[in-house]
Amino acid sequence: MTAETEDKQAGGGRTGVYVYGILPGDIEVEPGAPGVGDPPGEVRAVRYRDLTALVSDVDLDRPLGRAEDLVTHEELLDGSAADVPVLPLRFGAVLASDEAVTEELLGPHYDEFASALEQLEGRAEYVVKGRYIEHAILREILADNPQAAELGKQISGADPDATRDQRIQLGEIVNNAVEAMRQADTRAFGDAVEGKVAASAVRPPSHELDAVYAAFLVENDKAEALRKVVEQLSQEWQDRMELRLIGPLAAYDFVGSAAAAG
Amino acid sequence: MTIAAQPGGGNSARPQPSGLADVIDTILDKGLVLDAYVRVSLIGIELLTIDARVVIASVDTYLRFAEAVNRLDISQEKEGLPGLLGDMEESGAKHKTKGALEAAGDKLREFADSQSGEKQSVGRRSRGGEDN
Repeated sequence: MTAETEDKQAGGGRTGVYVYGILPGDIEVEPGAPGVGDPPGEVRAVRYRDLTALVSDVDLDRPLGRAEDLVTHEELLDGSAADVPVLPLRFGAVLASDEAVTEELLGPHYDEFASALEQLEGRAEYVVKGRYIEHAILREILADNPQAAELGKQISGADPDATRDQRIQLGEIVNNAVEAMRQADTRAFGDAVEGKVAASAVRPPSHELDAVYAAFLVENDKAEALRKVVEQLSQEWQDRMELRLIGPLAAYDFVGSAAAAG
Repeated sequence: MTIAAQPGGGNSARPQPSGLADVIDTILDKGLVLDAYVRVSLIGIELLTIDARVVIASVDTYLRFAEAVNRLDISQEKEGLPGLLGDMEESGAKHKTKGALEAAGDKLREFADSQSGEKQSVGRRSRGGEDN
């Protein structure tokens, strides 16, 4: 806390250039859009040949990463992703100056970025997120697995410490069963959207009750078809999970995380 | 066009990610990464990334699942009561499904708050070019 006060008093002389993402050269940036940081810098374009980097100035002496900063980063990129291809940078990319953006990022990686943008033309990312409804799948598991049902009876009403081993054993069975379910449902979802997506990337679960969690690269004219499939499956599976479709997003999962490190 | 397909057809058209939880996995874990020697380092970013990762399948997870089964057992015994109890159970389950992701978001928010020194709501903000 003391450090923070000192930060404020120091007034933050050092600034850097925060980079959100890379877009084609023919886009215009509306003046006045607020970027990350507090106070936020104004979002602007740094151009190099036919590439545009979306950037804003940030105070290097102030920590970045408030919830607003994260949401700003994503909304700025996703807001464009429906209309133009976007190469998103991971949160927290800061370079020393505009010159550094052209000379150290856009210049050396020009071919790579230009061809990636070309491949993303007319496409956007969508994320499908399913979360199991806990009581429903637990009943499913107990009904299918006699050993789990027996362990459930043993711990019921018993002293948690005295039945710790049984609890761990039961929990492990449940966890494995959920994992198997997740794989089966992810496969089923993949089969259902086949032909409607250009590419897919399964994300590692971020929660133990994650059901389906995957990103899809989708042609703009097939987005409606994907939406229909998700709608249909979410009805079909509504007793077991909540299924959501998020997008269009910038193609976070399809840019190759090490592309800029080459 | 963006949709949020909800079970039961309750289609509350939620454009874009619905908050911090949806954002975290994406922008802290995916996307292009700058070369380390080109990058200007920022305070706290590494910490954010670590915080956002959720450990899966630990003993804690197992014990949590077992406790969930235990609770399930109790609610099954009472299942003779129609209507009201069913509703309660459902809203209870909704609470439970708000899990570690949101928790990670909370943690992140705490972290963010402790850094900025003021409470900030995770408000949606309009971006450039958006027509409200």
